Amino acid sequence: MKKKLTFRTFKPYLFLVPIFVLLIVFKYVPFGMAIVKSFFNWNGANLNEFIGLDNFIEAFQDEMFLESIVRAFIVMVVQVLIVISIPLITAELLYAVRSKRMQYITRTAITFTMVVPTVVVILLWQWLLNGDTGVINNFLNSVGLSSLASPWLGSAKTALGSVLAVGFPWLGMVSLGGMPFLLYFGALQSIPGDLFEAADLDGVTLFQRIRMIDLPMIASQIKLMVTLAIINSLQIFDAVYILTKGGPGTSTMVPAVYMYEQGFSYRRMGYCSALGTILFLLIMLLTIFNNKFLKNTETMD
Amino acid sequence: MKKTASVLGRVLLGFIVFLTLIPFFLLLSNSFKWSEEIVKYPFALPAEWHFTNYAKAAVQVIRPMCNTFIVTFFVILIVLVVSTLAAYAFVRFQFWGSTFLYLAIMALLMIPGFVLLIPQFIQITNLHMYNTYLGLILPPAAASSATATFLLKTSMEGLSKSLFEAADMEGAGELQILAKIVVPLSKPTLSTVIIMTGLAAWNNYLWPLVSTTGEGTQQIAVALTKLVRSMVEGNGVMFAGYVTASLPLIILFCCASKSFVAGLTQGAVKG
Repeated sequence: MKKKLTFRTFKPYLFLVPIFVLLIVFKYVPFGMAIVKSFFNWNGANLNEFIGLDNFIEAFQDEMFLESIVRAFIVMVVQVLIVISIPLITAELLYAVRSKRMQYITRTAITFTMVVPTVVVILLWQWLLNGDTGVINNFLNSVGLSSLASPWLGSAKTALGSVLAVGFPWLGMVSLGGMPFLLYFGALQSIPGDLFEAADLDGVTLFQRIRMIDLPMIASQIKLMVTLAIINSLQIFDAVYILTKGGPGTSTMVPAVYMYEQGFSYRRMGYCSALGTILFLLIMLLTIFNNKFLKNTETMD
Repeated sequence: MKKTASVLGRVLLGFIVFLTLIPFFLLLSNSFKWSEEIVKYPFALPAEWHFTNYAKAAVQVIRPMCNTFIVTFFVILIVLVVSTLAAYAFVRFQFWGSTFLYLAIMALLMIPGFVLLIPQFIQITNLHMYNTYLGLILPPAAASSATATFLLKTSMEGLSKSLFEAADMEGAGELQILAKIVVPLSKPTLSTVIIMTGLAAWNNYLWPLVSTTGEGTQQIAVALTKLVRSMVEGNGVMFAGYVTASLPLIILFCCASKSFVAGLTQGAVKG
């Protein structure tokens, strides 16, 4: 009897053993290591000396790193604007098409582009944006707008903008326009029909309806997408690394690419960990700020 | 007035969808062309369909695609097993520390992946998993299991308590209850988890870039950035490779588009 009791007490924990083994080895321990190694001069191998706050002091004097954070904020503003504009407009436009069949076909066509691997989309845009043989310049030349043609990714002036333009109008990008579009459209579809009937009887105009019914009904989805856009934009890596590696010059150097360089090209793994810790704290702060700010607007409504 | 607005709306919608689809159309049509034609007439359909582009691309992408299949399969399998067990424990039992343990898993969602890049790299090097399938599978599985646990716990909480009571009365063991009652009833959420995890694994670029080298275990996302163009075909071969690499997911999508929509949107909680 007693044996059975102890087994019962332990039973729930047995179910949790696999996940915690996985998480301890590949999440908690690395996370602890990331924090601790921030205080070390460390190359991942033989060099491993405690240097206190030196890495952090260096980081706050490292112009390239500070610039990369400013750039991340530019990326953040652009991506927030993206997730609250085109996906929302497209969802409203598609919702206005009353035919269920057309809605289904259009949504399926857009979702279809979302399952194309991200790297394929990035490489595809590398070709579209190419200065000599790219499709965009080819198109501009053929319609007589050669003056607008530019080595998009090759010039410091246009490189960051071009990287951010990858996937335009972004509905095919899961992380950017695709997920918000699907969420907004799904939320619009779930608005009860009698709300609109009541609005129609009251003679409400289209824009009044959008402002007074649609937007409040999908507000929580919009907030979620804005939060995600903020967090993701500080971590943007794949497109930048594949297309420009941070160049030309440092015109597209973003924090994740800079960290990757410090860690793997220069083997400054301690410094890289410190940069990671700073960015982690920054993301935490932004998330907390964001939750507070967005909660406040909710109570205001 | 209302009519013009609706027509304008449809035109605008059509234009947005056109812009979304056109790059993929260009990719497909140019994947059958050779270098000169791609540069001169990117918008035209191929004058001659060069299927040989695909043969030349296959040599370069089939191996990494198989590698990625293996990794994706095991990442999904591990995530399903550990997350289902964990979610079941949190829903089924009341035990000391359950809230704390649950929060300990959820807190991981707050840590951005690239903060762990270096220490995870060191960790797999220490465990002699550098350039191995285990090294490619386990850290991404750990990353996906937290979201999966959250989704599965939420859906299992919706199951009626009387189901468990009835099963207890019958004297069913926990694993029996899990396999015969809980898993079948959680199928929609399980397929969401499969698609979410599978897409993440197939798309993963940064981790394979860091944790592998050479061609032995090379993953498709990395391989695509290293495709070699040849003289005559030029980009044609590369485009054929991009299309080939997209096919598995597109075929899956055609079979289960509903689950894909759920998988794509519910991944939002990952942040």
